[in-house]
Amino acid sequence: MSKQSFQLSAADFAPAPPATHAERIVRPSLSYWQDAWLRLKKNRRALSSLYLVIALLLFTLLGPWFWTQDYTLQDLDMISQGPSWGSAALVVEDPGAWEGVRGDALPLPQGQELGATTQLTVEGAATTQYVRLYWNAVPGAQHYLIYRNDHAPDSGQDLGLPLGETLRPEELSFADRLQLRPQTYWYTVIASDGLTEAASGTTLAVTTERAITTTQARERGLEATVGASVQLPAHPFGTDYLGRDVLARIMEGARVSLFIGIVAPLLFIAIGIVYGGICGYFGGTLDIVLMRIADFVIALPFLLFMILFRIGFGIGPGESGIFPMLLALVLLSWPSSARLVRGQILQIRGEAYVQAARMLGARSLYLIFRHLVPNVMGPILVTLTFAIPMAIFTEAFLSFIGMGVSPPTPSWGAMSNEGIRTMLSSPHELLFPAFFISLTVLAFNLLGDGLRDALDSRLRSRE
Amino acid sequence: MLIEATALRKFFSLSGGRQVHAVDEVSLGIAEHEVVGLVGESGSGKTTFGKTLIGLHDKSGGEVRYRGELLPARYGAADFRKQASEIQMIFQDPYGSLNPRMTIFEIIAEGLAIREGRSLAALRDKVVYWLERVGLHADHLSRYPHEFSGGQRQRVGIARALIVEPKLLICDEPISALDVSVQAQVVQLLGELQASMGLSMLFIAHDLSMVRYVSNRMAVMYLGSLIELGPAEDLYFRPLHPYTQLLIASNPEPDPEHERQRQDQLISGEIPSPVDLKAHCRFAGRCPKAEARCFEERPALREVLPGRLVACHLL
Repeated sequence: MSKQSFQLSAADFAPAPPATHAERIVRPSLSYWQDAWLRLKKNRRALSSLYLVIALLLFTLLGPWFWTQDYTLQDLDMISQGPSWGSAALVVEDPGAWEGVRGDALPLPQGQELGATTQLTVEGAATTQYVRLYWNAVPGAQHYLIYRNDHAPDSGQDLGLPLGETLRPEELSFADRLQLRPQTYWYTVIASDGLTEAASGTTLAVTTERAITTTQARERGLEATVGASVQLPAHPFGTDYLGRDVLARIMEGARVSLFIGIVAPLLFIAIGIVYGGICGYFGGTLDIVLMRIADFVIALPFLLFMILFRIGFGIGPGESGIFPMLLALVLLSWPSSARLVRGQILQIRGEAYVQAARMLGARSLYLIFRHLVPNVMGPILVTLTFAIPMAIFTEAFLSFIGMGVSPPTPSWGAMSNEGIRTMLSSPHELLFPAFFISLTVLAFNLLGDGLRDALDSRLRSRE
Repeated sequence: MLIEATALRKFFSLSGGRQVHAVDEVSLGIAEHEVVGLVGESGSGKTTFGKTLIGLHDKSGGEVRYRGELLPARYGAADFRKQASEIQMIFQDPYGSLNPRMTIFEIIAEGLAIREGRSLAALRDKVVYWLERVGLHADHLSRYPHEFSGGQRQRVGIARALIVEPKLLICDEPISALDVSVQAQVVQLLGELQASMGLSMLFIAHDLSMVRYVSNRMAVMYLGSLIELGPAEDLYFRPLHPYTQLLIASNPEPDPEHERQRQDQLISGEIPSPVDLKAHCRFAGRCPKAEARCFEERPALREVLPGRLVACHLL
C-alpha cells in the first residue's frame, strides 16, 4: 500500500465544459397522427383488417367493372346452381310448339295383355332445353306414362312418380322441358289402358347437352345461330332461386350494405359532433335541455322504431327503401355520439392549455377549431369505426327479417333471407352473403380495436 | 398597487343549494416589480384565488382593480383579449398545459398569432428568441409536447406566457409537479426573467422554503381565508399565526443534524370541508392555542407589527 502513487494536480480541478443542453432529443419528431399510424402498423391484426377493409371497398367499387354480369338478369335454366366456372352450350331453336308424333290407336287383340313400348327414340339432339321422345303405338293403349330417372331403373318398381303422361292414344310423343341438367337421364315409357299400366316398358338412356335457345342467346348478346357453340357466363358463387348470378348480387348488395353502413355513421356522428359540441362548449341550461332530448331518443326501443319508421315511410313500388332506412338509422343513432363528443369537449375545455389560450385572448371559433376539435378527433374516429359494423349489421338484420330494403334491390341481409329458404338444397345462396356480412363486421371491429389502441393517449409515452 | 383584490370571493355551488367557500373575502395587492408568494395546504383556495383574480373563474363577490381600473366580474373573450398583454399565467400541470396536437412553435407563437393575427412564419425569430431565453433550443421548434420532460414543458409554458410581454404573471404551483433538481432550475429561471423584465408575480405554491427565495412578500391562506401576510424572510423565520408556525415547523430541514433536532409538530386533524363554513376562526378546530372566542368570532386581518398582517384573536 503506497500512499505516494496517487498525485493530484491543479489541472484535475478544472471545471468540466458546460453542457450545451442537458437533454437532447434525437428521436425523429412525430405528430399525433404519425405516431398513431406507426402504432397501428405494428399491430398486425389491425393492419390486416385494414387491408381487408380496403379490399372490400375495392371489391364493391371496382368489382362491377370487371364482373359485368347483370345482377337482375334471371336465367331460369340456371336456378340455384352451385358455383361453376362457365361452360360451353349449344344454341338450339326456341322450343316453340312441337306437334309431336301421332299414330293410330291400335285395338287390343282379344286375350292379350298390354305390351311394352317399342322403338323409344329421341328426336333431334337431346339438350338441356328439351328432350323430345317418340315411340311406336302399343295395341290397346289409351295413353302413355313417361318416367324420368337419374339412374338406370332395375324394374318397374323403382320408377317413382311419372314425369308426365299423354292424354290420347294417338299421341306417341313427349317433350320433356322440366329442369334439365347436362347429365344422363333414363326415360321409361309405359303404356296404360286407362286403368292399369303395362307390366313393362322401354327404358332409354339419354345424355343431354347444355344448350340455350336462340332467344336466350340473343338476350345475352351471344351468337344466335342454331348449332353454334357459345360460352355461357361463369357463376363462381352460383346462382340464386331466380337464376341470378350470386357474385354480381353480392357486389351490388355490398354497395347497398356499405353505403348504409358508412354513410349512416358519418351522418349521425356529424350530427353528434355539432350537437354534443354545442352542449359541451356552451353548457348551462341549453346543455341540460338538449341532453334531455338526447336521453329521450336513446330511451326509444331501437328495433321497434326502425320497423315503425319503415312502415311509416311506406315504401312504394319500385323504391329500394335505402333512404328511409338511412334516415331511420341516423335519427335513432345520433345521441350516443353526441354524448361522447359532449363528454370529450367538457373534459378538454377544462384543460390548462384551453385556459392558457383564453388568457391569450382566443375567440370561441379559434378555441373550437384549434384546440377542441383536433383533440376529439381520435375518439370520434374510433367511434366511427365501431359504428360502421353496427350499421352494417343493423341493415343486414332488418333486411333479413324483411324490414329493410325491398326486392329486387339486393343487400346482404336480403340475400341471406332469400337464401335461407333453400338452405338445405343449395346452401351457397345463404353462405356467400352471410360470409360477407361476417367478414365485413369482423374487419371493421378489428380495425376499430387497433385504432383505439393506437390513438389511446394513455399508451403514449409521457416522459 | 398594480393589481389589488378587495374582499374577493369565489363560491362554487353544490347540489342542494350548498356552497363551497373556496375563496372567502381575500384582500391582497401586488405592487409593480413585486413578487408575492401565496402558500397554503391543498384545498386552501390559493389556486382558485389566482384564477379568480385574473378572470378564469367568475367572481362571486368583491372586486379586483388593475392599475386602478375595475376588472369585470365575468369575463368574455373580449375581456381576456384586452388584458392578454398585461396578465398571463403559468399552469401547474406541465402535461395538461400544452396542447398535444400542436408543435412547440405553434404553442409558443399562439399569443402573438392571436394578438397580431400574423401568420406563424413571420413570428419565427421571436419564438426562437424566447425558446432560447427559457433554455431550450431552436431545433425543438417542430417537436410535440410529449417528447419533452416535465421541466422542459414548464419552460415552454413560461415562454408562451412571456412572449406577449405581460406586466403581471400568475404562477400556479409551477414547480410542484417537477423533480426537486428541476424545481430549482425553474425557480431560478423565473427569478431571472422577473428581474430582467420587471415583472410582478403571484407565486402560488405549497412549499414555503422554495417560495421564500423568489418572494418579496408572502401570504398564507387557510380554508379560503388569508391568515397571514408579511415580508418573506420575516414571515418565514418569525411566523406569527399559529397555523403558519405549524406549517413552517412541519417543513423538513435539508441538514440531517437540524432535522434530527427539529420538533415535529403535527397539525392535528384534516383540513375541514369548505362547505357551509361557520362564522368563526377557520383554524380554531385544529389550533393548539384556541380559546373560547376563537369559536365565536372570525378574526379580521390586522397589522400586528409594522408590515405584518395576521388574522388571529390571540395577537
